[in-house]
Amino acid sequence: MSIEKGTLEIKALSKSFIVDGNPLQILNNINIVFPAGAFISIVGSSGCGKTTLLRIMLGLETQYEGDALIDGEKIVGPGLNRGIVFQDHRLLPWLTVGENVAFGLEKLKRKEKKLIVDEHLKLVGLSGFVSAYPSQLSGGMAQRVAIARALASKPEILLMDEPLGALDALTRMYMQKELERIWLFEKISMIMVTHDVEEAIYLSDKVVIMSSRPGIIKKIIDVPLPRPRDRASSAFMQIKAEILKEFHLETEYPFAYAI
Amino acid sequence: MIQISENIKNRLSTLVIPIVLLLVWQIVTSGGYVSSHFLPSPGTLFHYTVKLFVEQGFLLHILVSLKRVLFGFLIGSVTGFLFGLLMGLSKTAEKILAPTFHVIRQVPIIGWIPLIVMWCGMTELPRIIIISIAAFYPITLNTFSGVRSVSKEYIELGAVYGYKRLKFIRKIVLPAAFPSILTGISLSVGMSWAMLMAAELFIETFDGIGTRIQLGREKFNMPLVITGIITVGFLGLAMTLTAEKIAKVLDRGRAIRKES
Ligand SMILES: Nc1ncnc2c1ncn2[C@@H]1O[C@H](COP(=O)(O)OP(=O)(O)OP(=O)(O)O)[C@@H](O)[C@H]1O
Ligand SMILES: [Mg+2]
Repeated sequence: MSIEKGTLEIKALSKSFIVDGNPLQILNNINIVFPAGAFISIVGSSGCGKTTLLRIMLGLETQYEGDALIDGEKIVGPGLNRGIVFQDHRLLPWLTVGENVAFGLEKLKRKEKKLIVDEHLKLVGLSGFVSAYPSQLSGGMAQRVAIARALASKPEILLMDEPLGALDALTRMYMQKELERIWLFEKISMIMVTHDVEEAIYLSDKVVIMSSRPGIIKKIIDVPLPRPRDRASSAFMQIKAEILKEFHLETEYPFAYAI
Repeated sequence: MIQISENIKNRLSTLVIPIVLLLVWQIVTSGGYVSSHFLPSPGTLFHYTVKLFVEQGFLLHILVSLKRVLFGFLIGSVTGFLFGLLMGLSKTAEKILAPTFHVIRQVPIIGWIPLIVMWCGMTELPRIIIISIAAFYPITLNTFSGVRSVSKEYIELGAVYGYKRLKFIRKIVLPAAFPSILTGISLSVGMSWAMLMAAELFIETFDGIGTRIQLGREKFNMPLVITGIITVGFLGLAMTLTAEKIAKVLDRGRAIRKES
């Protein structure tokens, strides 16, 4: 049986960083499959290793125990089959918005490039900004350009590290809708780190809850709701409560010990 | 309205010192406080300067000097850029080259003149070599540090999109190091110009501004010496300003960032 393109698999993965000469365990025995075409969110407190996990899947971190597989093969480095929206937008300040979006399209002809750039800027609602510089954009706009750049090179899997973190509440809800639309349209796998539980439920097939020190997967919650989802529905609220409960336990224990 | 008067104020404040100096100069010379041998009056000097340019081909000497600086600067900055780039890109290259480079750098540039003249003779070559050494150091150092300080984030971005070697250097390293390289170029322009004087004064010849100033000293021709110095000053200023202007134009993206 061949594995469908766009599948990511993490097997018994543990990761330590050397801090002050001593190994500090960041991820502990992570096991998870991101099926092809699924939208999966990862939530967890700050510092629990979400970015580290994404970097491993991207191929920027290669020192770890266990396995990280893409389409059944070991990840040995970055590749154009995976796109990334970094936690910082990471646009190049010396390139225009258009040139930034075209960053992964080096091999294409000018015309094709322009077509793809226009298409993707339209997708993120920034058509008029092709020749603006990143310094002229707001944080949220920059993040949308970063999304356009990641999508432009047509990855099988899009990894996103808090892609909507810098947006105001309204733009954020609009972009969530857009992301869903893009996901349904492009039919690619999406893996998104977020701090916003509602966002995770609104967009995801599954929500992965991580807890920290060292980072483990605490629970994976299915979201079997029909799309587009209604944030006010009782089923939605129920799932939200279920996820928040997991966080409560985490924050309540230290208090219990302190008392 | 306010902006315009601010602007005029700025212009005027720049002119305060030159005007005061000119006045003092005029008073001191016309009052006979110093001999006109040591300091001709502004009027006399002006007449002399005009004559110098019109009748005595001073412009040709300027062009000769400019040519020397241009060649020296080009050779020094191109090699310095490549050298700095190499050390910046490769830790191995740095380990091998940097210690020697830093030791050699301790020799004041003028200190090389005797050796180079003994090797090359009193020809045009040693003058250009001296100027290129002067241009070499700042470019090397600034290119090196510029390349080394390219942020890890941008390097990762290059890796994510599969940029390798030349493409990586062209699309990530050089643009990121660009401001630093431009600083190096500006410094090199200044250094080349300064070293031109040394090259013309210490490696004797018959043409060039430095040589004219030297001739003025030998003949006790004070107007020639002063005109020479003023010319050197203004040309240096013009070059630095031009270099800065070009840098600004080239650095268009960053210029916008500074504005906002
Ligand atoms: N290169 C590194 N060297 C040493 N420690 C690191 C390194 N990168 C990350 N860490 C540590 O690993 C832990 C997890 O970091 P990571 O960035 O993955 O967290 P995160 O879950 O993304 O947090 P946040 O939600 O704040 O972005 C942190 O404690 C961090 O200090
Ligand atoms: Mg993070």
